[in-house]
Amino acid sequence: MASYHGNTASEPAKMEQIITEFFAKSLRIILESRCPYVSSRNYSSEQVLLSPSPPSSSCSSSSFGLRDKSFNLALRDCPAALDNIDFWWQSNLEPMIVDVILVQRSGNWDPMNYLPKRGFARTFSGKEGYYYNSENDEFGYEIESEKIIERWVLHYESKQSGDHGSGVMGNKRAACTSSHALYNKSTLLLRSLYATVRLLPAYKVFRDLISSAQIRAYNLGHRVSSFVEPFTHREEADMQHFVFSPVDTSCGRLCLSVLYCSSVLDISSEPSTPISPQVIHEYVGSPMAEPHKRFISAPVSQSSPSSPPFGRYHSWNYDIYKVSPSSVNLSPSSTYSESCASMPKQLSHRFPPASLPNHTASETPPVHMKDPNFHEYWPSPTFSPSPSPSPSPSPSPSPPAYIPDSHILKALLRSESAPVGIPISRLSTLPKMPKNQLLPLSPSMGTSGRRVSKTDGCSGLYETGSMVDKLFTSAKDEAGKFSGVKQSSNSSSTKSFSRSPSRFSFQDHFDDSEFSGLFITNDDDLTEPSTRPGSFDQPGGLCPSGRSQDTAVGALICMLKKAPPLRPDISITTNLVQGSKP
Amino acid sequence: MNCEVCQLKELEVEHFEIREVLRCILHTILFHRALGLVRPKDVDLELFEITYVQCGDMELERKIDEKIDQFIDRVEKHPNKKNQICLSFYEVKNKHATWFTNKVERLFWEHWYINLNVMQHPKTPSGKSHHSKLVVDPGVEARGARRAALEASLRDVLFQIIKFVNEKKDHVPSIPNVEGIPFPYEITISRCT
Repeated sequence: MASYHGNTASEPAKMEQIITEFFAKSLRIILESRCPYVSSRNYSSEQVLLSPSPPSSSCSSSSFGLRDKSFNLALRDCPAALDNIDFWWQSNLEPMIVDVILVQRSGNWDPMNYLPKRGFARTFSGKEGYYYNSENDEFGYEIESEKIIERWVLHYESKQSGDHGSGVMGNKRAACTSSHALYNKSTLLLRSLYATVRLLPAYKVFRDLISSAQIRAYNLGHRVSSFVEPFTHREEADMQHFVFSPVDTSCGRLCLSVLYCSSVLDISSEPSTPISPQVIHEYVGSPMAEPHKRFISAPVSQSSPSSPPFGRYHSWNYDIYKVSPSSVNLSPSSTYSESCASMPKQLSHRFPPASLPNHTASETPPVHMKDPNFHEYWPSPTFSPSPSPSPSPSPSPSPPAYIPDSHILKALLRSESAPVGIPISRLSTLPKMPKNQLLPLSPSMGTSGRRVSKTDGCSGLYETGSMVDKLFTSAKDEAGKFSGVKQSSNSSSTKSFSRSPSRFSFQDHFDDSEFSGLFITNDDDLTEPSTRPGSFDQPGGLCPSGRSQDTAVGALICMLKKAPPLRPDISITTNLVQGSKP
Repeated sequence: MNCEVCQLKELEVEHFEIREVLRCILHTILFHRALGLVRPKDVDLELFEITYVQCGDMELERKIDEKIDQFIDRVEKHPNKKNQICLSFYEVKNKHATWFTNKVERLFWEHWYINLNVMQHPKTPSGKSHHSKLVVDPGVEARGARRAALEASLRDVLFQIIKFVNEKKDHVPSIPNVEGIPFPYEITISRCT
């Protein structure tokens, strides 16, 4: 200790700074591996910590630029630690107690409210500090129960007297700890802390939260304070105590310990909260949100900040909860089936096929993906060119039969698969359409001999102008999205989608690429925010969900009316259809 | 300066578990001794639900993998033997430069002994007798129980390392201002006696 007489005045200051830095570093190490929503794992860049200088320190700002490399342990930025440690600079080395809290939640899930909620309050000792909102966690859940699963205690026990020679622990070498030795030993202690936080049970919970794409029924929070109520005997009996060997200095000793629950894994292993599907109408790019832009697309989360990854037709945006990896992240596979299950009740909403992520913009058939009515008309699995029982048989040439919900569900579930092919024999050489736009025809229509183009893109009857109104209006294909012939009631075996005759007229005039492009464009321009379950049954007209749709439909009808008739084959088919209707 | 020795708890491992277990233990020790500037890298074991920390030094990883390969070769050559890996840290002292040699003295200040008992799968008797019994596979449950026990033992070993590092600090030399591992080390493979 006599070796630094020349620097005696600066030595206590250095040691105090080392201890203060040690507190900050420890807090960062703990919170980085316990805070799911503000873990530095979410940050790709290494940021230098910026924090106010401690009043007792004479360090320049450059030293704080090195803080993340302090103690030779380069760590990424941890905002949670930053928020909590800023006020600690004035703590005069009061104890720092970090509680890691396992929050079990209940209540309705609010996917809109996923931003972290943090509060600022005073602890018992009057020390201010950040804590997570105990009423609702950062995801808007109602807190059902909280349990402290870890309690980290950092404190510096200072000696009262100015005893520089003998050590409290009786270790002469430890008692003569200089700032350099204190720094080295603190470095070792921090290495142990870094390794230990990853070995404790709470780390697994943390990893589950940040890595899981499912909503969990629990979450991790933290509370940093300088004074807490001690555990009861019962609580402490369930916890294990791990004490790091203290680092002795000439002025005291630096202590670090943790009380942790070993049974936290039992709680975290519970199944995640089942998510009831909620359809969000006003998602980015939705017709309701953007009425000027008419297109049919699958619903996406309202909070989605970015466009769907697979184009407008996809409803699930995987970037919805980018801020919080552990927050809601609807997986199509998990939610789609649920969506389909509820689809009969929500026919006004669109649900993407389960294989949506596999689709690309180029592959996505606009006809299939955009129009919910298309799904409604989607053929049942039993549909084939050959007659098969209709889900709602009706011999009269009434407007297209309403497809029962079960079939709609099945259709949706199968929508990702290849569409039912149109029998080649019945296909005419109409302009091509994308493959997956092939749709089966009703048997009655099929008997006409030539319904749909043999080509990939063709999908249904083509109607002349006179038939357009009836078919179009009766189809309830509000989106007009596909151009398909509306399924007549006679098409008992092929409850295929219906297509607006207008499209076929377009097809007649445009080549493949143009048609496809036009088709897509038309799909985009037409809106179908909702379809009502019974809409198909209403004769005589569409029931557009909005005026904008009416306008689009009207425009389409006008175009169809002005369009020259299709091929004679089609007209024959049209007559057959007409004849089948009352 | 005294030399501290730490005999780690013996682990019973299967052949395919050797690499993961040794990597975990060696890197954990070295992370506590790489007291120069490091950028820690978390590594999740594939066979166990354990996350350990590496120093983030590619050269160190390569050296450790080489030693592990040597250990595995030795195990294959000498089955049914308990083998030991010793990780030692030393200081270079008293470089005696003479006319004939340039002797460098190593002053070891820490030894870590990692004891592994590599289990050998019982082989089917090669006898032609149809009366010989077939070796029964322990079953999925037994393997799972053994794996869980090994994971718990491995976790105990890691905590043993942490405790030892925390309890024994005075023998560690001063940390030079370098990156990575400032202390020279060596890894030797020997047979348990």
